[in-house]
Amino acid sequence: MSEELRVSAIETREKAGKRRFAMVVDTRRCIGCMACQVACKAEYDTPLGVNRTWVPYKVVGKYPNVKKQFLPRLCNHCDDPPCVRNCPVGATFKNEDGGFVLQRYERCIGCRSCMAACPYNARFMLPSHRTYTPITNVVDKCTFCFHRVSQNLVPACVQTCIGRARVFGDLNDPTSEVSYLVAKNATQVLRPEEGTKPHVFYIGADRNQTEFGRDAYRQRDVMELERSAFKRHLNI
Amino acid sequence: MGDYIWFHDVSWHATYAIYFFVIGICAGLSFLSYGSWRTEALRPLREKAAYGSFALLVAGGLLLIADLSQPLRFLNILNPVYLNFTSPLAWGALNIVAFGIVSLLYLVALRQGKEARGKVLATAAALLALGLPVYTGYDLTVHQSRPVWNTPVMPVLFVALAVASGSAAGAILAGSNAAAQKLLREYLLWSTAAVGVILVSILGTTNYGGAAQELTFMILTTGTMGLIFVGIGIVAGTAAPIALLLAPVGRGQTGVVLAGVLVLVGGAALRYALLMGPQQLQTLF
Repeated sequence: MSEELRVSAIETREKAGKRRFAMVVDTRRCIGCMACQVACKAEYDTPLGVNRTWVPYKVVGKYPNVKKQFLPRLCNHCDDPPCVRNCPVGATFKNEDGGFVLQRYERCIGCRSCMAACPYNARFMLPSHRTYTPITNVVDKCTFCFHRVSQNLVPACVQTCIGRARVFGDLNDPTSEVSYLVAKNATQVLRPEEGTKPHVFYIGADRNQTEFGRDAYRQRDVMELERSAFKRHLNI
Repeated sequence: MGDYIWFHDVSWHATYAIYFFVIGICAGLSFLSYGSWRTEALRPLREKAAYGSFALLVAGGLLLIADLSQPLRFLNILNPVYLNFTSPLAWGALNIVAFGIVSLLYLVALRQGKEARGKVLATAAALLALGLPVYTGYDLTVHQSRPVWNTPVMPVLFVALAVASGSAAGAILAGSNAAAQKLLREYLLWSTAAVGVILVSILGTTNYGGAAQELTFMILTTGTMGLIFVGIGIVAGTAAPIALLLAPVGRGQTGVVLAGVLVLVGGAALRYALLMGPQQLQTLF
């Protein structure tokens, strides 16, 4: 992306003197072990029913040419994040050096406006009861492991990925691995039409998962059964 | 088969739709109270509409606060250090507070019988009341990733719904006052017709293109949501009252009040469907 493509003042991609962290997810390397999801849960004690990162999959193709397609998902740490614009109290903000989109828990009023604004469903409401932390009833999300990155570590999900499907680094640094991968490979971002300039780049993402399909309009009762089974643990 | 789908929750639940409904009637009644200073036929509604509007504002405000997952932090939204003016919610909060203060002063002026001050405050209250449906519509419009919500006509639709709902509530409050009923019939007819026209344009453009748009159209027009949106909202709550008001029976008090009840029921259904329908698809992404 050249500097001319920057539209909003909030964008920091290729801004001199600023870091802009990004993640490249090479779906060809993802084996669907969900270790990233587990590592994230362990890192943050994320409660049941919500996730900062998740790995949905779809079986695509027709027998015998079938494949399980994984699409690891997380907050896209957009360069022009609609959640930041939408938060009425500035509880969500973008860190200028690094581009992390973060949350001030003590300021969040729980209006869920940021959740509505996010095209990626990356935000969720924390439940009212948690065992080890008093942070409840506020919106939470992936932080790109800001606390680890500021200690020169990579995010927990990247650290644990056994296939090296997730690569993290500074996109404003031309010598970083993410810069190399983004420059050398055809990459995709989720819902580019929204103009959010996401900073999670996918290599080999499957259209069956990045686009809305007619699958979203399946038999409503079947969908509701699945949904209620999925949400059952919320009442535990 | 064997797919692993992560189901997300909708961001805004039905409480928000009830709030839209309540605050719409609140704004509509404020318009009527202001109208009573301009049109003699609405004079009997002046106090009733002003008190009704204020009561609904209190109810709506409490609903909004109760819907927050951190209700006691609602004061954060009024903290000038925290306020983020790129958010329509921030403007809405300021609008609600300003409207509440002016409405209260207006009620005091009405009680004291101070006509000149009352007229000025009624004008200010009506202007601020206009901001209520505008901001609620804008609240949805800014979410450009959601089909239907993202149409810029949403604030206009909410203003038309507010006028229709306010006129409907006014028709019920007006009782047997023939002059007021005659005028309210006109308001009801034109505002409901405006709602109908805007809904047709929204549905048309939604069905016209884009996978998400087409799927949202399907969600809004079939199944339970279809029954609520098309059945109750459009047929029973928009088309039926227009037909009723145009029929000979619609010129009498019974017809106007019946049309008003239908408009209120339809307005509630439309707000619910417009809020919840476009969120359903997003939960699957």
